[in-house]
Amino acid sequence: MPPASDQNPTAILLRKLESIAILTDGERQAVASLPMRVQSLGARQDILREGDESRHCCLILEGWACRYKLLSAGKRQIFSFHIVGDVPNLQSLHIPDADHNIATLTKARIGYIPHDSLRALTTNHPSVGALLWRDTLIEAAIFRAWMVGMGRRSAFEQIAHLFCEMYLKMQAVGLAEGYRCPMPITQADLADALGLTPVHINRVLKDMRGRAMITLKSDMLVLEAWNELIRVSEFDPTYLHLEARAAG
Amino acid sequence: MSLRLQPVYVATGSGDTESLLVFADDFLVAVLVRLSDDHQEAVGMWFLEAGFGPVDDPCPPNFSDLDTAQNWIEERLAHAA
Repeated sequence: MPPASDQNPTAILLRKLESIAILTDGERQAVASLPMRVQSLGARQDILREGDESRHCCLILEGWACRYKLLSAGKRQIFSFHIVGDVPNLQSLHIPDADHNIATLTKARIGYIPHDSLRALTTNHPSVGALLWRDTLIEAAIFRAWMVGMGRRSAFEQIAHLFCEMYLKMQAVGLAEGYRCPMPITQADLADALGLTPVHINRVLKDMRGRAMITLKSDMLVLEAWNELIRVSEFDPTYLHLEARAAG
Repeated sequence: MSLRLQPVYVATGSGDTESLLVFADDFLVAVLVRLSDDHQEAVGMWFLEAGFGPVDDPCPPNFSDLDTAQNWIEERLAHAA
């Protein structure tokens, strides 16, 4: 499979949609003909700010992004991490006023798909509309999993759970295999996503390394003890509703 | 108000063990842990491992030195008074 950056933008969206459902030829062609304006952004740049009104959905073509909210004194809560193929503001199609921010975490390429074109696609192909709905429902399931983590899991369990989740999400769109995946986010990002401190993140990562459960070097994560990580974090991938896993 | 510091070792499950109990008027208000060389650029800083009452914080900070830590704790206690 060619790297994401070599693929045309709609192929990236198709690969994402086909990771959670099977599309007909007609649906594939309709998605492939979506117009898209592509923009390159540096790391840690806002794509969308709270209060902005969207007229486009943002497809991630390369790099990582996150959704977040800032509190007073610079405190930040990250709600979700997004990888190639994700459309983190898909909800803007129906609620255009952003109630949170979206920013790049790494250098990124973003494809902007006009709302009008997406609306026409979902009108002409209701099953694609249902598929986009399915994607937002899966996202809601991921939010629930994070809520359980922040409310009821230890720091160790939360980090193990997140690593399992991110690995399977990346594997589903061809960005990871063999229990190896890119992990280009900082300990501060992880802390802000999991409601922990960088101190706790650092302690847990050291502990995981010490137990030979992971290797994390040069932005590459290797899940050396997949079964143990699943067991410790009580990870059940059902909530990701990945088509390949369901089929396989 | 004066703070009293009492050295202890805290079992954080990591290399960070050198710690101080922080008392205000005989009440335990915080536990500060000195960050070990596990933490690279934060090594030597004091981490608010636990804070009680007004010293509790959902985003516990690191302090560059003990004076800064004590000032921060005193400010929290003064605001609550």
